[in-house]
Amino acid sequence: MKDNYLKQAWLVLLLALCFGGVLAGVEHSLKGRIDENKKADTLGQIPNLVPGAVSASFSNGVYRAVTQNGDHAGWVLLVTGQGFADKVELLLGLNADASQITGVYILDQKETPGLGNKIVEDEWRAQFAGKSTQQPLEIVKRKAEKDNEIEAVTGATISSETVKDMVNRAAADFRRQLASGGF
Amino acid sequence: MTEKGPTPLERFINGILPENPVYRQVLGMCPTLAVTNGMKAAMTMAAAVAFVLVCANILTSLIRNLLKPHLRILVFTLTIATFVTVADRIIAAYMYDMSKQLGPYIPLIIVNCIIICRCEVCASKQNVLTAATDALGQSLGFALALASIASVREILGSGSWFGIEVMPAGWPDWVVMVLPPGAFLTLGLLLGAANWIGELAARRRTTQGVA
Amino acid sequence: MEYLSTLILIALSAALINNFVLHYFVGICPFIGVSRRVDMAFGMGCAVTFVISIAALLSWLLTYYVLREGAPLTVVLTRDPTVDLSILNYIVYIFVIASSVQFVEMYVRKYFKPLYKAFGVFLPLITTNCAILFACLEIMKHVSGVSDPAQMWGVLESLVMAASGGIGFTIAIVIMAGIREELDHCDVPKVLRGAGITLITAGILALAFMGFTGVDRGLQKVLQGRDKAAESAEAPDASAQTSRNWETGI
Repeated sequence: MKDNYLKQAWLVLLLALCFGGVLAGVEHSLKGRIDENKKADTLGQIPNLVPGAVSASFSNGVYRAVTQNGDHAGWVLLVTGQGFADKVELLLGLNADASQITGVYILDQKETPGLGNKIVEDEWRAQFAGKSTQQPLEIVKRKAEKDNEIEAVTGATISSETVKDMVNRAAADFRRQLASGGF
Repeated sequence: MTEKGPTPLERFINGILPENPVYRQVLGMCPTLAVTNGMKAAMTMAAAVAFVLVCANILTSLIRNLLKPHLRILVFTLTIATFVTVADRIIAAYMYDMSKQLGPYIPLIIVNCIIICRCEVCASKQNVLTAATDALGQSLGFALALASIASVREILGSGSWFGIEVMPAGWPDWVVMVLPPGAFLTLGLLLGAANWIGELAARRRTTQGVA
Repeated sequence: MEYLSTLILIALSAALINNFVLHYFVGICPFIGVSRRVDMAFGMGCAVTFVISIAALLSWLLTYYVLREGAPLTVVLTRDPTVDLSILNYIVYIFVIASSVQFVEMYVRKYFKPLYKAFGVFLPLITTNCAILFACLEIMKHVSGVSDPAQMWGVLESLVMAASGGIGFTIAIVIMAGIREELDHCDVPKVLRGAGITLITAGILALAFMGFTGVDRGLQKVLQGRDKAAESAEAPDASAQTSRNWETGI
């Protein structure tokens, strides 16, 4: 009986072994590259988010960005939140004492193409750079006038609000952590 | 293996139009609908499917005489899952953005009916050459189908083709075309068009035969 | 409360807003093939929901304890915390699905005769249903794909997502079957009969389901409004769901 099982299944077992070998080979040769890609996805953006930063180290859930000669340039936070259609994931750049936003970058979003997904455009994101974190930002449906106002993407107020909420919340939380000596 | 059937070349041509996997056999619908909102994604998908289909067909054909009938589906699944994993890793390593965009649809090739259907119908009965040409023909047919749907959707929906602007400036993007409903509508209408063309061709053939 | 509202949001999102069939395009083959009559469609939907829940449970257990990087069981066995078996994910999932379909079929045939009569014939077809593998892949994304352990899905989240995905599939296929029963009395152009008109109908249905977009965001605001009110004025928009990862991350 046992012999019979083996007779029927030897091909499957042999194939499983071969495939295991193939996969191990693929994993071995490509894993480094894939991990590299994943890291570059976030790290590659840091110079654009924090002016002067060239590299960053990751600890306690935040990136600590440093300049060429090792000075502390700022912080980069990974923030997720619920958008209009699905989760939105963004990187928020702050200066060293977290008093000012230095940049926002949308990592992942599935907002409506042509409307909500305009939040990824440089022009819109640039509004956040230089804003103070002392008071919460507001979304307005006209030209921004006050210091804390961000102009909404036309036809996509909810997506704009999502980003604003995420930035406000993350900045406030982080300031509190920083003030209580969390870092 | 004495079964009479189309020659390798005929099989190749059959796969492209007369037995097109999408338009004729209505197989492999998930990727056809999901990744056709742009040409780039659609072509990456077609290439991945072609890679898996050709490899799986060749391997199945090589071991066809050793296969036990009740274990064959198991062997097919194992083979396909392995090649899909390989394809997935290669895309993740060399085209990371694309891999993020395609997301779960690359692993979903495992349950794509086209591949298991070709292994079962053709590769497990034919020699390697036939199986390989059959796989190539089917993949080309699949790529053609994806390209036609993706062209319609990308040109109407984003006014571009392969990311290059083709529509005149001021073209109002038909956003709905790149959203899920657009996929269903485009495929439904193209399927109707394909049937219509097929019918016209058949009618002409019969009238010619009579004359 | 917060956990419960997360679960409700996951369920709502999987069943209606991001419907498996009409938004993610998975499970299209049975959606077109088995949607001629309402009772058959309902049987198929139940079978899928049943299998999807079992497959989700098994694949969560396997992903969490064996496959992900730093999985407890693997670490114990190999004594190496860096071992990452995630390359085997897809192969494991497809076999989990195939074998759970087999076992469910045998079990149901033996102990639940009426149930087997109702949807037994659909069970073997389910192995190649992309909806099930898709649910496993979603679980994989939320278990081994997240960088922050606080956001990792537990077994309950995975089960709720999978089961409501199955319910969403059932809703879509039953609506479709209802429409198709009526379509039989209509004069559909010959070239569009069969798959063509089904796809166009599905397109209109998908358009209708798009109306659900954004509902979860509104609901989240309502459900977590209480938490928000409790927050200090310093952080007016702090929502509990995401501040959780800060507390544990720091």
